[in-house]
Amino acid sequence: MLKHLFKLIWNKKKQHFVLMLEILVSFLVIFAVFTLVVYYYQNYRKPMNFDYERVWAVQFRIEERPTTYDSMYLFFGTLQNQLKSMPEVEAVSFTSNNIPFAMSSTQNNVNYEGLHIQQVNDYTAEDDYDNVLGLSLQSGRWFSKEDAGAKYRPVVINHFLKERLFGSGEAVGKLLDKGSERPLKIVGVINDIKEHGDYQSVESAIYRRADTSSYHWMEELLIRVKPGANVAFEGRLYKALASHLKSAMIEIEHLTDKRRARNNMTLVPMIIMMIVAGFLVINVALGLFGVLWYNINRRKSEIGLRRAVGATGQSISRQLVSEALVLSTIALLVGCFFAVQFPLLNVFDMPASVYLIAIGLSVLFIYALVVVCALYPGKQAAAIYPAVALHED
Amino acid sequence: MLKNYFKIAIAVLKRRKFFTFISLFGISFTLTILIVLTAFLDHLINPQYPDTKRGRSLYLNTTTRIHTKHQSYSNGPMSFYFLNKYVHSMKTPEKVAIASIFLPTNTYVNNKKMVIDMKYTNAEFWDVQEFEFLEGRPYTAQEIANRDHVAVITEETKREYFGEETAAGKYIEADNVKYRVTGVVKSVPITLLFSYGNMYVPYTLSKTEIGNTGIGGSYTAIILARSKADMSKIQEEYQQVIARVPLPDNEYDKLLSYVDPYLTSFTRTLFGKDESSGVGTFILIISIFALFFMLLPTLNLININISRIMERSSEIGVRKAFGASSRTLVYQFIIENIILTLIGGILGVVFSAIIIAIINNSQMLPHLYLTINFTVLAWALLACLVFGLFSGVYPAWRMSRLQVVTALKAQ
Repeated sequence: MLKHLFKLIWNKKKQHFVLMLEILVSFLVIFAVFTLVVYYYQNYRKPMNFDYERVWAVQFRIEERPTTYDSMYLFFGTLQNQLKSMPEVEAVSFTSNNIPFAMSSTQNNVNYEGLHIQQVNDYTAEDDYDNVLGLSLQSGRWFSKEDAGAKYRPVVINHFLKERLFGSGEAVGKLLDKGSERPLKIVGVINDIKEHGDYQSVESAIYRRADTSSYHWMEELLIRVKPGANVAFEGRLYKALASHLKSAMIEIEHLTDKRRARNNMTLVPMIIMMIVAGFLVINVALGLFGVLWYNINRRKSEIGLRRAVGATGQSISRQLVSEALVLSTIALLVGCFFAVQFPLLNVFDMPASVYLIAIGLSVLFIYALVVVCALYPGKQAAAIYPAVALHED
Repeated sequence: MLKNYFKIAIAVLKRRKFFTFISLFGISFTLTILIVLTAFLDHLINPQYPDTKRGRSLYLNTTTRIHTKHQSYSNGPMSFYFLNKYVHSMKTPEKVAIASIFLPTNTYVNNKKMVIDMKYTNAEFWDVQEFEFLEGRPYTAQEIANRDHVAVITEETKREYFGEETAAGKYIEADNVKYRVTGVVKSVPITLLFSYGNMYVPYTLSKTEIGNTGIGGSYTAIILARSKADMSKIQEEYQQVIARVPLPDNEYDKLLSYVDPYLTSFTRTLFGKDESSGVGTFILIISIFALFFMLLPTLNLININISRIMERSSEIGVRKAFGASSRTLVYQFIIENIILTLIGGILGVVFSAIIIAIINNSQMLPHLYLTINFTVLAWALLACLVFGLFSGVYPAWRMSRLQVVTALKAQ
């Protein structure tokens, strides 16, 4: 049966060539859309692992800072104490600019025993950072006052980086960047957090403890507020900050807003792409429908003859749908050949599973589309009366 | 002859309404999306309020400092000091507007939070940019030199802060400092990076730029040439100036900086490499996208057209039997197809006008007003012709090869 169908299509290959080309291109477009959807969905399902609800970010662009280490420490320490003494404030931490949901990022290399890992997100934070963001530790501890003046600079890494460095082995206590000016000592491992928004993948991260030299350039502050802290408090907080940081421009943002903005940056292009792809699919579906319908009308005599020799209406309609499916299978085989190159050549650095799931979904989608478009013409063909059709001829 | 073809085309369109609908749907929606995109690009590239002198303006938004040995590099806007010392002192330009990138800051009015995007400017900014003043006037060079706390605000900021009353002469508090409002201007959309801000204040009030004598900072410049012919002279002079700039820190040993026309100033940052401006890459990317996007609807149209032609094989057979050459038939069919795409094009323009009206009304990007102008329409027409030609040629060729006997027999 299948062989017979192939023969039927092969005989009309010229006529079907454009149709197959169209199905092939549609498959590639759908594949691109599904790849992104699957990728974002897989990321979306992972837990955030931190709490941004009541966290405010303060950016202070400051040029005139105290020059000596001591006065710098005093300057930032006083501000921190002043903030902590406010009844609405729960925890405070100065950080580097790459706060959650921010656009800016800092990346660095990490070395361990010949392993050289590039593009590790590099954060500088204070002792209370884990409380501000509600981070959960997998092993070890977050850094604290006892780390001050330690021989090695204490760092916390995330689970993702731990897996890459040590596999399932223990990370706490190990030394990184050995042989450099100041090696790093891992004191804790935190669960992966999605600080780039709900749809972003998890990346390697390393958190360094802020020391006096960090205060030369830090211009970001994260504050966890208690429930009920309102705009009136924000106004007071602003005044307090402005009176302490006299030469700075200050902006207070809420992480909830930043999260929405960051998610939109992913979602808006995605939605535009899906609208465009949706339009293309409707276009293709209508065309497919029209061509199949037309072809059936032209084959009336052939169908009439088959009916006359005893084929049921159902088998006629089944034949026409299968013909369309065989046609799309040829196009899909070529399409899959191209699509499979993505996981094989590791393009765009996405997990292979994303591509494979996307290929599967796109194949199903195209088949479903073809079946839907062929059903009605098939039903029409089934309704052809042999007498009428043969008489017409 | 053409009139005849037109009549035939309309007759054919009326015969198979479903196919006509599919064709028109494909053509009009493809064009709608292309026109909306073109309108957006047109908004980004062509002169807009208040940056109306783009024709003779050159822009400077970033410089790149490179260390050739360490392969480290730094890229970003410049310091006021750098622009004032090296760009403002150039001889050829008529005026140099220096303004910071917009810097957000908060203010709290009646228990309501407002985010104000501040822009620090020099006095020439107001001459180069043709802002429409709804109230008052810009601040003067004298006020800037005096470090007076003066500000120009936009209509939107005025409405949020002062409500409906007049604002000129009143005081606005931002960043814990009180500024006297000298004027109110019509708002600018955020897409115009060189002009956008909610509040404009003298550069002398900037807290962050005091004492910054490095190259990097947060300022950009617009250089206004006396005439179009002067633009290349300015570019040459700027390269000479750049060659003389001392690099203060040992971190970097090479300074790359260009003053460019508007579009180039962005493509250079996005796609430029070394000396190349990136405009070519930009146009290539846009064209590839448009072509690929049109590929599916075109294939669809070819498909439908083939079916259509086969349906008309009897007509073709008769015409061939009476001596019409293949070429005549091909012309006829291509013209028919172009007529079809033009009708689709007109529908597309109507649809896109509706969509653009919706975008403008919804204010997805505040103060952004897209328009369909002649440039956009010309591009749409071109797209229509390309569309019609591409989707007409292959079916027409197939048709012309039809044998008279087969064609007549098919009936």
